[in-house]
Amino acid sequence: MDELMEKLLKLQADYFKRRRLLFILDLISIFAVFYAIFLVLQIEYFIQRSSPFFSIPVNIIRIIPPILAFIIAIIGALLLHKNDHKIKFNFLVEDKYPDLKEKLRTAYDNISETNVIVESLKSLVVSSLTVVSASKLIAASVVITRIILVIIFISGATFISLNSEYRIPPDTIANNFKNLTGIGNEDTNITIGDITGRPENSDVIGSKGSGDIFGKPKIASIEGKNIDLTLYTGMDTGFDVRDTIQTSNQFITSAAFPVDALGSNVSDGGYSMLMKKTETEKMLINKYAVERSKI
Amino acid sequence: MSNETYASSTRIFKELLDEIGKVVVGQHEAVEQMMIAILCNSHALVESNPGLAKTLTISTISKALDLKFNRIQCTPDLMPSDITGTYIIEDIGGKKQYRFEPGPVFANIVLADEINRASPKTQSAMLEAMQEKQVTVGNKTYLLDKPFFILATQNPIEMEGTYPLPEAQLDRFLLKILMDYPTFEDENEIVNRYTKNIVPAVNSVVSKTQVLELQKLTRDVPIAEDIKTRAIKIVIATRGKNEHIEYGASPRASIGIILAAKARSLMKGRNYVSKEDIDTMAYPVLRHRVILAFESERKGMTTDQVISDILKNVK
Repeated sequence: MDELMEKLLKLQADYFKRRRLLFILDLISIFAVFYAIFLVLQIEYFIQRSSPFFSIPVNIIRIIPPILAFIIAIIGALLLHKNDHKIKFNFLVEDKYPDLKEKLRTAYDNISETNVIVESLKSLVVSSLTVVSASKLIAASVVITRIILVIIFISGATFISLNSEYRIPPDTIANNFKNLTGIGNEDTNITIGDITGRPENSDVIGSKGSGDIFGKPKIASIEGKNIDLTLYTGMDTGFDVRDTIQTSNQFITSAAFPVDALGSNVSDGGYSMLMKKTETEKMLINKYAVERSKI
Repeated sequence: MSNETYASSTRIFKELLDEIGKVVVGQHEAVEQMMIAILCNSHALVESNPGLAKTLTISTISKALDLKFNRIQCTPDLMPSDITGTYIIEDIGGKKQYRFEPGPVFANIVLADEINRASPKTQSAMLEAMQEKQVTVGNKTYLLDKPFFILATQNPIEMEGTYPLPEAQLDRFLLKILMDYPTFEDENEIVNRYTKNIVPAVNSVVSKTQVLELQKLTRDVPIAEDIKTRAIKIVIATRGKNEHIEYGASPRASIGIILAAKARSLMKGRNYVSKEDIDTMAYPVLRHRVILAFESERKGMTTDQVISDILKNVK
């Protein structure tokens, strides 16, 4: 391969290695920022709230915030570096080293030419390219700044994950939501159904229901720690929602009623007539009544 | 051989300009452009007032280049055969034979002084020599020696009794060189040099072979695509919508600008064509190819002003 081409390709490879490093640093920064935001906003709680609608298993809910943050980080980093593939290395060198511009471009455009002048130009450009390095094309300050940002964001995310008091209680968010939208506010009487057209707390046909068997979820604050008192349904939660109709429709067989009871349903004359019967007759009538009740 | 010439080209041009500078005071741009025309294996038209050392400059260049130089003073009664040559009857061994007597065009460097005074017939005779580098007399064609360069001069004043060169012939000149009056310092030097008994002499510093090699090297100078595009855009900008221009330049102008820029870069010791080369050479290449609109000419605009505007607007 031509010496000039070899030199250019080597410089280009070095440069794009650095750009890949910047991409990874940006990815980590964005991930850390969004993960921290999700922790602060307790996004897990909201996913849990919405899980019945999407049938998300509980053990999956815990890994959703980091996955979501990672997806956002990938999208963000890709957007930040969307023009990376369009970078023309030669133009970059020309911009950074204006003295090299015409020489480099001419040598590059005439790379396939072979004559004494072109060869001398190529040699000149190769020797001039010794001052060019990938580290000069991407300033060290840019890389250092990104590394510092990564450290700051990761530290912040770690700090928030270890200190739950920095997380905003879902009630606060719910109240703010209530204040902003008026939904659930007693004064305004606006319900989510007014906005979505769907009644609040209604279950979807075929689903297991919200599992909110004792009203709205509560957060108890004990010794500075917020504990979610919501009774969730599902596997391993210890709760199973049953349909109330299953119990109300059960038939319980009662014991055979005595003659007195049988007589109680007849007229006054009939009752006194029964009472005048002998004990054997009474036993026989009672047996009859029992047998009748079995039909 | 070519490698050696290229390696020593910077020195050659320096020595050449120094040698010419011994005789010609100032006029650096004109000398440079004449050299460029020679390197491009083309021709140049010089326009200047009388007494500005046109003949001296070109004859000095020919001496420095060790080339055969001829001068033709054009007049209305100058015949084509006066330029190309003619058959003469010669007595050889008691037999009378026609022998071709070459005209002044059979030289390496020809100065056609006041070419616009020659009749169109004579001017067109020169056309074949300029373009084809050959002369046809009768049924026979004679090749001209290489290198071949015609420097024609025009006097911008005293236009009476002249035959302005047709556009087709103008287009065959690579450059139109303007020679202006010298500065005070230069004129003072001219006076000092030419009022003494010792007349400055010129030594040959380049051989004919080297001139031919330099001509070949000129075409080898590489040019970047964007620079080439700029040259073409400049020429295209002279056509069409420009309100100041009646007729624009032909594609021959694009070739001319690039070739002249290559020669200039070689003379400057550069191994690539720069944007500056293109912009500098756009003036002499275009100024005789662009015909100004009547209104612009009436307002006193010059072709150089229009070219300057074009250069500013072309990205």
